[in-house]
Amino acid sequence: MKTHNEKKNVRFLTLAVQCVFIASVALPLGAHAEEDELYGLTHPANTVDFGALYVSQKSAKFGEYNGLNDQGFYGLGSFDIRGGKGYDSKDSGLRWKLNGANIGTTSRSFGASISDQGKWKLNLGYDELQHNITDTFQTPQQGKTGGNNFTLPANFGSINAANGQPSARELTPEQLNAFHTEKEYTTRRNASLGTTYSITEQLSAQVDYNHLEQSGAKLIGTGSQGGISLDGGSTGRAEAVNIIMNPTNYSTDNLNAALNWVGDKAHLTGGYYASFFHDDYNSLSWQNALASGASGCTGVNCFVNNTMSTAPTNSLHQANLSGGYDFTPTTKLTGGFSYGYNTQNESFPPSQIPQVNGNTPNPFDMMQPGGLPTSQLNGHVETTHGDVKLTDQSIKDLTLSAGFKYNERDNRTDSNAYNYFNLGGVGVDNQYTGVNTPYSNSRTQYEVAAAYRLTKAQNLRLAYEREDIKRWCNGVVGGAQCVASPGSDEDKVSLTYRLKAFEAVNFNAGYSFANRHANFDHNYQANTGDYGVAELNSQNKIGFVAYPYASRDRNLVKTGINWQITQKLDLGVNGHFSYDDYLASLGVQNGRSAGVNVDASYNYQENSSVSAYWSWQKGERNLRSGNNGSPTEVSTNIWTNRLEDYSNTVGLLTRHGGLLAGKLEIIGDLSYARDTSEYSTKLFYVPTVSNTPTACDSPIALLCGNLSPIRNELISLKLTGNYKVHKNGKIAVAYIYQKLNSNDYFYNGQQFGYTPNRVMPNGLQEQDYTVNAVALSYNLVF
Amino acid sequence: MKLFIQLIMLCGLIMTSAHAENTPATEAKATATVKPSDALDRDSACTRCHDETENKPILSIYQTAHGNKADSRTPSCQSCHGESEKHLSSKSVSPDIIFGSKKGVFAPSDVKDQNTACLTCHDKDQKRTNWQGGAHQVADVACTSCHVSHTAHDKVRDKQTQPEVCFTCHKDQRAQVRKFSHHPIAEGKVACADCHNPHGSAGPKSLVKNTVTETCYTCHAEKRGPFLWEHQPVTEDCSNCHTPHGSNITPLLKSRAPFLCQECHDGPHQSDAPAAGNAAGIQGGLSPTLPNGNFSASENFTGRACMNCHSMVHGSNHPAGALLHR
Repeated sequence: MKTHNEKKNVRFLTLAVQCVFIASVALPLGAHAEEDELYGLTHPANTVDFGALYVSQKSAKFGEYNGLNDQGFYGLGSFDIRGGKGYDSKDSGLRWKLNGANIGTTSRSFGASISDQGKWKLNLGYDELQHNITDTFQTPQQGKTGGNNFTLPANFGSINAANGQPSARELTPEQLNAFHTEKEYTTRRNASLGTTYSITEQLSAQVDYNHLEQSGAKLIGTGSQGGISLDGGSTGRAEAVNIIMNPTNYSTDNLNAALNWVGDKAHLTGGYYASFFHDDYNSLSWQNALASGASGCTGVNCFVNNTMSTAPTNSLHQANLSGGYDFTPTTKLTGGFSYGYNTQNESFPPSQIPQVNGNTPNPFDMMQPGGLPTSQLNGHVETTHGDVKLTDQSIKDLTLSAGFKYNERDNRTDSNAYNYFNLGGVGVDNQYTGVNTPYSNSRTQYEVAAAYRLTKAQNLRLAYEREDIKRWCNGVVGGAQCVASPGSDEDKVSLTYRLKAFEAVNFNAGYSFANRHANFDHNYQANTGDYGVAELNSQNKIGFVAYPYASRDRNLVKTGINWQITQKLDLGVNGHFSYDDYLASLGVQNGRSAGVNVDASYNYQENSSVSAYWSWQKGERNLRSGNNGSPTEVSTNIWTNRLEDYSNTVGLLTRHGGLLAGKLEIIGDLSYARDTSEYSTKLFYVPTVSNTPTACDSPIALLCGNLSPIRNELISLKLTGNYKVHKNGKIAVAYIYQKLNSNDYFYNGQQFGYTPNRVMPNGLQEQDYTVNAVALSYNLVF
Repeated sequence: MKLFIQLIMLCGLIMTSAHAENTPATEAKATATVKPSDALDRDSACTRCHDETENKPILSIYQTAHGNKADSRTPSCQSCHGESEKHLSSKSVSPDIIFGSKKGVFAPSDVKDQNTACLTCHDKDQKRTNWQGGAHQVADVACTSCHVSHTAHDKVRDKQTQPEVCFTCHKDQRAQVRKFSHHPIAEGKVACADCHNPHGSAGPKSLVKNTVTETCYTCHAEKRGPFLWEHQPVTEDCSNCHTPHGSNITPLLKSRAPFLCQECHDGPHQSDAPAAGNAAGIQGGLSPTLPNGNFSASENFTGRACMNCHSMVHGSNHPAGALLHR
């Protein structure tokens, strides 16, 4: 069948090519237009492209966003057609446009617009995007991508050895046979409608609406069990992990309506924005063979049913006002205000989970008696924004500005105590009390800046910014704190210098320094899921500060130079370096980033050029942490971890026109990107593994040293030849080569026979690919 | 045979429709109101020299909004380039305003003067309210650094080609969008202007909305909540964990669990435990069993690590999901 289809595809391609040639010879297109270049310049050119493309290899990664994820032929099609009296007439400004792109793939888009310029405009759009995630995911769960209920085959049996120890690495042949491949993807289909209407010369109205429909699924981790008793009496973590397909059956409707008024010295826009998100599901259920059932258990009674929540349906209504007033032509005031009302009233997922017959309790109730204070959240967040900015250029060569911004997220959701059972637990030890802490925050920013033109060729700008952040929770049950850092303030100064050294040389350099002072309370009581137990500092060690909430200094230097060596040759070099230093005895200590970009382009003749670039980037983050100690006792088992990112990208682009008497143009795009992320850990103590002091680099620990680098190398080549068969038509032949070498230790723990204790394998593979693609298309201009 | 007939019909349709489109257009040229002197009369002071023989397609401005003669707001050449009286009498003298950033026959005018010409009409609307004092204005970016006004296809206003215009200056981002994990920017499905307003905004980093989170929720409304169990950094700033332009670590993460989580957690569960080669599991060199016979690889460090179980990192709406498990 496949062979037959391939033959059919080849025959179709052959005929399509013949069609192209027939069309190119037979069409009298442009015969008259050739006579009048003026007409061609002042009137739009309509274009239609059609053809076919062949992809040599199936790859979800190559086709991640371009819709070319399968091996085989794809139809190519795009068009752009414009018309209307608005190109000719002084009496009618009517213009219209129809366009489409990538019609033969899941990346297709269409658009249409019509307008009477200065009076009204209407536009429609449709955009489709399939995000292909992986085509190697395997699961024994029954249920399709996009569903929210997954079950195991009745004969799958449990995955538990005699002592309660796991055996996911030793699946039986029957269990292995139950695994099947599910393609993971999410699809977005976005339809839009927009209109603008000029009521008067000063007043116009605008309405934009779009509807986004999503389907498919993304992979998600699930735990079903807290801890189990290990040999020797200790408690091990045996979370009974299944990676399952989390459905993305969503729709989002966004509406933006605005009324714009423009006067001689002022303008004002009042608007309403609404966003409605809907999830077809409110829960995701699956069966787990890792968490229950004795060794050798067979039949459905071996499984435990489990449920988790999905993204809740929610809505946002926002009123917006923005505008400006010109005191003088050189002194302007602008500002804006927004108020948003965000609600979420999705029913909670069922907390009672019906179990299969042999399992008790049935149904299993995740909540303790009286643990469900309400059936839905009645979530309610108010967002407020205000900004005002004054700019003045009334003094020659001096530009002054002063601004103020305020943003607040005020979470007015009720706080309640939810008495529940921890994962997989039913006993007293697993009775947890969680108190939801609706997080609120506000950010106040001030900025003053002065830019001075020192000479005709030199500019200097000095700016000062101040930012104050506040964090709080409204009405937390029990009145406890909810945040470790109730606030911070940050001062930032920046200096920028620009120089036009010569007629063709532009140089710029800038430096900024920011100091953030954060208030941090190591004695606050955190919501760690079990509020019944006093948890200081989220159980973090004393001295540990989460990096977003730590005091820190930030230094940033930027510089760049662009040199137009000749009218044909340009050269540019720029770079930056930043250093963040955090004030915390434990936690992120510092971070650095640096980057250099070099670009050169040479336009050696009309329609012919070559350009090359090189980008280098490096990032580093240093973390210091403690393995013992407590929120009140200083840790002595110190370890550090360093993350280093390296990125190198080089590219060469060339366009050579004018070949074969001006009929042939060749375009080349070659690039190579290599990205590496490396983790290294140092221990300043001797770790204990299985209650025995062990060298940190011993094979039973591997707690220190370097992790194998995460490395991705992408080579990409695209060669395109455009051959004009006549003035209005050309044939394009393109060859695409892409090769991805991906090395990532992430996939090790997904493989059959190699997963951790209680992780169901899924066989996910690294996404290496080598793809060759050839495209042939005909481009018609009329 | 059926396929062949369909192809013939397709060819016929293409030829017929193309011919049909072409014929009236040709006739229109001959009979309709479009005569150069008619269409171009307001600009004839300029177009008598700058005609269709120019290397640059000067006259194609009539395909753009700036060339729609029925709109009373449509500018003439001199509305933007100035009266240029000296230039009219001597072509060796530059027009009043020369747009662009590169030296051609004449040196470009000061950016401020160039932009003033554009802002005469374009400074009073919602999208450009925050131009003054915005990142591009203070960096002396000219409107024409990004926009071309004389051709029908203004690259920066086309989703497919916009990034290459932005990457002319934003070269770090040019490299980042090629990383393993990225938004579909290079693929033409997301444009820079979907998130940023290059004309300035009230948000950080010239974002189209007032905050980072609000901007992300435009497309990722499933993360908006509010959730019953919130994750504090998520409610404040998505970029606490994600880097939007590209990452070596999926999905657009600054780092990977457990290391990412350990930047904020050093106590609960295994968040205080060091990880190194053990995160690579048995294939990374870890002994399959411990001395006591237990298996050594841990789900706390391998694969999704913390997110093997705490997978609801953006928030949970399950009444038993306080630990972001469910």
